[in-house]
Amino acid sequence: MIGTVVRQMLALCVVAFLPAIGEAFYLRDRIPWKTPVPASELTTLATAESWGNQLMWVDARPDGDYSAAHIPGAFSLNEDRWNELLPQFLQQWTPGRKVVVYCSSQSCNLSRAVAHRLRTEVQIPDVYILQGGWEEWLKAHPK
Amino acid sequence: MAESASKMTATRGFPHLAIRMMELLVAALFIYAGVLKALDPLGFANDIDNYKILPWSLCLRLAFFLPWLELACGLTILVRRYYHGSLAILISLITIFIVASVVAKSRGLDVTCGCFGHAGRNLSFAGHLLLDFLILAALLVVARFRLGRNRDPIPA
Repeated sequence: MIGTVVRQMLALCVVAFLPAIGEAFYLRDRIPWKTPVPASELTTLATAESWGNQLMWVDARPDGDYSAAHIPGAFSLNEDRWNELLPQFLQQWTPGRKVVVYCSSQSCNLSRAVAHRLRTEVQIPDVYILQGGWEEWLKAHPK
Repeated sequence: MAESASKMTATRGFPHLAIRMMELLVAALFIYAGVLKALDPLGFANDIDNYKILPWSLCLRLAFFLPWLELACGLTILVRRYYHGSLAILISLITIFIVASVVAKSRGLDVTCGCFGHAGRNLSFAGHLLLDFLILAALLVVARFRLGRNRDPIPA
């Protein structure tokens, strides 16, 4: 019985492996194989601030964190209330403006997820992730 | 002989139908989840990376492989082929996921589940966990019924 189960599991893994390899090969040029976020999609605080009026901050943290404190002028757009907040965001955004998304820290992935959705679902080309996130902003702008 | 026949009869009727419905539901759920994730491997890789357990290269490889594995298991449960292997894989996957979710949350990470692509992103952590426990429970009930003492045999 156990032998049968193991054999079946291996067979299923092989069956799944083949299309997975095919898909990975098909998307090989569009996947960042070495780092989670390509360097071209990251921006430093100094660079972002140099964009002036062309810059639009997006806060990807949960509502509670945003309410507590956020970068002045930042728009709240998180995945918890994506469908509700996205139309409001699109009213504010105009083509040509650069969007910089941040969350709490470097290890936080909320900004990555929101940036990914803005690029793929909303087709906004200039979307960047703030290196260091909110913590980096606090270091540069202590209260 | 008569006892064996009565046991077989006991597995028919309502319990049999309920288990079959449960199988169909679980299979449909994994097919749905597999398709969603197979369509967005990068998004799924980011979701796996959120747990901060595996290196990025492995997250990506899993993000390509796991959706197809879920899809294959869902389909084989649907058509009742490689049944035992599929159940074993799905029970293992959902158990690993539950443990990883709890560990990540206890480490204070901002965990987004990713189990159902973007469709499940509006669920809270507790909602995800509840859903996963329900799926695990359904899989265990099906396994117990199919493989237990009064089992309803499935062709290997």
